[in-house]
Amino acid sequence: MREFLKSTRFKILLAFIAFLVGIMIYAVTKGGYSLSGASFINTVTKPLRFVSNNISMKLEKTVDRIENADAYYEENQELKKQVGELNKQLTDYDDLKTEVEELRKLVVIKEEHPDSVFSQPAEVLGYVANDPFRGFTIDRGSADGIEPYSPVITPEGVVGITIEVSQHTSTVRTILSPDLSVAAVCSDTNTDFGIVEGAVITAENNMTKLTHLTPEHKLKKGSLIVTAGSSGLFPKDYVVGKVKSMGVDPNGLTAYAEIEPAVDITRLSSVFVITDFDGKKEALNAAQDTP
Amino acid sequence: MRLKTPREKRILYFKTTLRIFLYGLMIMVGFISMTCGTWTKPIVLVPIAVCIALNADVLVSAFVGAFCGFLIDIACERLFGYNAVLLAVFCAAVSLIYELYLRKRFFNYLWITALVSFLQCRLDYEFYYKMWNYENVERIFHSVTLKVWGYTMISAVVIYVIFALINKLLMPKAHLTIEEVIKTS
Repeated sequence: MREFLKSTRFKILLAFIAFLVGIMIYAVTKGGYSLSGASFINTVTKPLRFVSNNISMKLEKTVDRIENADAYYEENQELKKQVGELNKQLTDYDDLKTEVEELRKLVVIKEEHPDSVFSQPAEVLGYVANDPFRGFTIDRGSADGIEPYSPVITPEGVVGITIEVSQHTSTVRTILSPDLSVAAVCSDTNTDFGIVEGAVITAENNMTKLTHLTPEHKLKKGSLIVTAGSSGLFPKDYVVGKVKSMGVDPNGLTAYAEIEPAVDITRLSSVFVITDFDGKKEALNAAQDTP
Repeated sequence: MRLKTPREKRILYFKTTLRIFLYGLMIMVGFISMTCGTWTKPIVLVPIAVCIALNADVLVSAFVGAFCGFLIDIACERLFGYNAVLLAVFCAAVSLIYELYLRKRFFNYLWITALVSFLQCRLDYEFYYKMWNYENVERIFHSVTLKVWGYTMISAVVIYVIFALINKLLMPKAHLTIEEVIKTS
């Protein structure tokens, strides 16, 4: 040992350690920046370290997977369960959101028409196959208080009437059909009465027709047509649509107007059914009593 | 007929069950396809009923035709039973014609389906539109009835291929004994 302490090797070692301590002290004075030598080494070895680090990480992961396979499997199952529950909550949330939106619309309509009684929102189950007049089926029926010939609407306006009602579904005939006639009036003038009745040609363009107008009518393009409420079939003041064009019937005694419905009947997803309204029974009874 | 071993009987039973299940599945798929969407759709249940009638007994054909007809009534919102009656009659007639006169060829199937489908479409037009004398009612015939018939004929080709495949794989083949072959020849 004494020999070693006296040897040149020991002196060189001390000198080297002193050099290193010197470097260390110098590094402290650099205020966090690398020394140029260290920086050079870092730059040169960077790609190599990147590759080797990746390899090492992958190896570690592989070993980790093998070692903790059971734990991961259980964790995975747990997470799957959680995802399932969250998805279910999300679906419930979407359903609730849709329902709230529907109910908001219903509140607006109810405020506008306090005399009408509405059903719960009814979903459109599907359109009648190949029906040129766009009839459709809804998911509410007699169990929800719906009767045949109940008006069907959306917040935008009139859609049609129910024609066949089962316990949980109903079929709706739309205002595009020639088999449905609705007494209507121009809301601007309040004097131009007519009957909204579909036709084969207008139905091709998803339009309907206001017939039996006097040739001296004051309708113009864009005039708003609303239900007159005189037939007992529909309550008063529900929007039917806007006048698109006008003409005179071949007999020259009456005029007609083509109406663009306020509701896009080809793209319905939900509707409301008016189960009762002021004047419904009276008008219908009066109509039935008339010889 | 040659007597079958128990194993052959089991296979035959399984194949027949699977074939009937696939027929039912085709009918259900056809019905669902008719109830979705707003566009003009083929009445696919007509070629399906005809396809089944080609290989079935008259009564079975009539029953299948009636079932498909009921489904058409629901999908097209027609008087319940109207199409059932039509298709029961048509399918029974198809089965009988095949039994007595026609061979099971694609061309025969095509013209029979064309005829049945056209009659179904035409009667639908007559009873549900023309009879009520709507203004310009003939436009419905051109823009809806003929279009539906055309689509039905296109779908009939696809349906024939599917049924041919099912029948090829699952339809029991008639095995004749040598004595029966000699007798029939």
